[in-house]
Amino acid sequence: MKENREERIASIVLIIFSATYLTGAFLIPMPALKQQLGPGGFPIAIGFAMLILACVYAWQQFRGGATAQESEEEIEKRAVIIGAEEKIEKKADLRTMGFILGLMILYAFFFEILGYAISTFLMFMAGVLYLDRRHLVRDGVIAVISSFFLYYVFTILLRVQLPAGPLKFLEY
Amino acid sequence: MDFLSNFWGNVVLGFSVAGTPFNLLLCFIGVFLGTLIGVLPGIGPMTGVALLIPITFGLKPNAAIILMAGIYYGAMYGGSTTSILVNTPGESSSVVTCLDGYQMAKKGRAGQALAAAAIGSFFAGTFATLMLMLFGPWVAGIALNFGPPEFFSLMVAGLTVVTSLAGRSLVKALFATLFGLAIATMGIDNQSGVPRFVFNNPELMDGLEFLVVAIGLFALCEVFVNMADMKGAVMERLTIKGSLWMSKEDWKRFFPSCIRGTLSGFFVGGIAGAGAAVASFVSYGLEKKASKYRDELGHGAIEGVTGPESANNAAAGGSLIHLLCLGIPGSGTTAIMLGALLMIGLQPGPLLFTQQPEFVWGLIASMYIGNVMLLVLNLPLVGMWVKLLDIPLYLLMLFIIMFSFLGVYTVNNSVQDLFLMVGFGVIGYLMKRLDIPAAPVILGIVLGKLMEEKMRQSLVISDGSLMIFINRPISLFLLLLAIVAISNPYWPQIGRGVRRMFGGAPAV
Repeated sequence: MKENREERIASIVLIIFSATYLTGAFLIPMPALKQQLGPGGFPIAIGFAMLILACVYAWQQFRGGATAQESEEEIEKRAVIIGAEEKIEKKADLRTMGFILGLMILYAFFFEILGYAISTFLMFMAGVLYLDRRHLVRDGVIAVISSFFLYYVFTILLRVQLPAGPLKFLEY
Repeated sequence: MDFLSNFWGNVVLGFSVAGTPFNLLLCFIGVFLGTLIGVLPGIGPMTGVALLIPITFGLKPNAAIILMAGIYYGAMYGGSTTSILVNTPGESSSVVTCLDGYQMAKKGRAGQALAAAAIGSFFAGTFATLMLMLFGPWVAGIALNFGPPEFFSLMVAGLTVVTSLAGRSLVKALFATLFGLAIATMGIDNQSGVPRFVFNNPELMDGLEFLVVAIGLFALCEVFVNMADMKGAVMERLTIKGSLWMSKEDWKRFFPSCIRGTLSGFFVGGIAGAGAAVASFVSYGLEKKASKYRDELGHGAIEGVTGPESANNAAAGGSLIHLLCLGIPGSGTTAIMLGALLMIGLQPGPLLFTQQPEFVWGLIASMYIGNVMLLVLNLPLVGMWVKLLDIPLYLLMLFIIMFSFLGVYTVNNSVQDLFLMVGFGVIGYLMKRLDIPAAPVILGIVLGKLMEEKMRQSLVISDGSLMIFINRPISLFLLLLAIVAISNPYWPQIGRGVRRMFGGAPAV
């Protein structure tokens, strides 16, 4: 029997999501001028279709039993023929993933406050320290290049606006 | 004669656009970065093109597409190198190449395998470009007669064909497409000015930025997937022994499979609208049936490398026909390219060929040039590319995070976009865990606005009757095509049912 607790939860989440979207679509105000379909028509159609599919998905997951078992092999065979993406390993290193997620959120938070160069440097070094600290010097140099050096490449050479942060006085 | 002189004029125009030093440089940078992306494990063409879109912002549309196209087919080339030498496909369309490519390398024939892949790709890429030149204007001419109903049905057909090929479960893939369409409805409605799903957030008035979703779902998702399993397998790398040159015998076996691969790949990509990965699998299947040496397949037969590699490049070129002539992407990567073009302010479609010939023909010419550059870049320099695999995974992941933030921030200078992108990264990881394909989401987002517009225009024409989609023959045909695509996975079951009914033994 395939472990499908995750999929069952997901199917319920998708039903809730679809229903919420559909409700939102119904609440879209209609303009005074009568139009064919109006602004709400297309979202309502999509909402209904999503809800139906989410229900089918849930039904597939909760039906369980022998029929699902049988089709598993078929599905895999088809996947090989059309070259579907490889399934990923279910067992995940949650600690590392949590760290990376936290790192990204902090990076986003400080991106403008500290400016691109400083926030990138800190993000990079934090990542290196957590993931692999055997080559600190090399990785430190890479961090400096990709934060400070790249800041100038982007702002001066490519004329892309990046937040300067406290380093405003260094601005070109 | 008129056609010929026209044609010749266009070719000259194209090369005059692509041949300027700046565009040549961009083409080179494109194929170079593309090969880099193709070789690096964990960054597929979709992630690569999405990450590199921000560098095209400062460019003119025609320079931007030359760069993006270079990245696109460069990645197709590069993916094969790691398949052959490391048994790790750089992207999904090179998965099949591992089967025979790695076996050839193990037998000390890595050089020949790489040569077969590169020359096959070159041949197929050139062929696909030629076909684009010959048939592009023709397809665009047909599409010029399309009204809103036909376009709507065409988009429905395009979405369903791609969706039906996207993953293991049709329900999941369809849901992903609809999810994309739902995201596309966010923002102010163009026709009535009514805000939809904006949540009183001024930054969402223009809708959710497509790049935010694309980079989140592909690039950051890739980071999460790799972080979840950091202690991944150690790669065993094979070195290239002996010469790169193929023997007479190799050439003799090379050509038939190359031609088969090119034709089948072009058919799959250019006509059926499916992506390069599908094409490579179809081609391998074809080699198994048609090749004289089919027994050697899987044990290092040159056909197993040539066929799929020709096919995926032919398909990549072929799906550009859809993108340029119809404005409808046939794969995840072309969807991202379409999104990028829309951001620059260019709407690909049938009018492109007549209104902006320098754009289309410049691109086509640059593809010829890019193909030649790739051949040079990949064969003699293959050793350099393999060295890239020495980059530790954690550094690569930190670079991806950095480039993702850089790219998304430059679009709107918005920190909110960064948070949304991280959110989509998490969604992307969950989707991957649940085996829900992400490419259809992008397709939905990119086509959503246009699809709704065409639907509403159609209903204005018909005064609200949905019959307009069925009454017009071309529209009806396209909708039937969509139904066939959706029911496709159930054919074997239906077929078996029919066979059982007639008492025959069920074939496997």
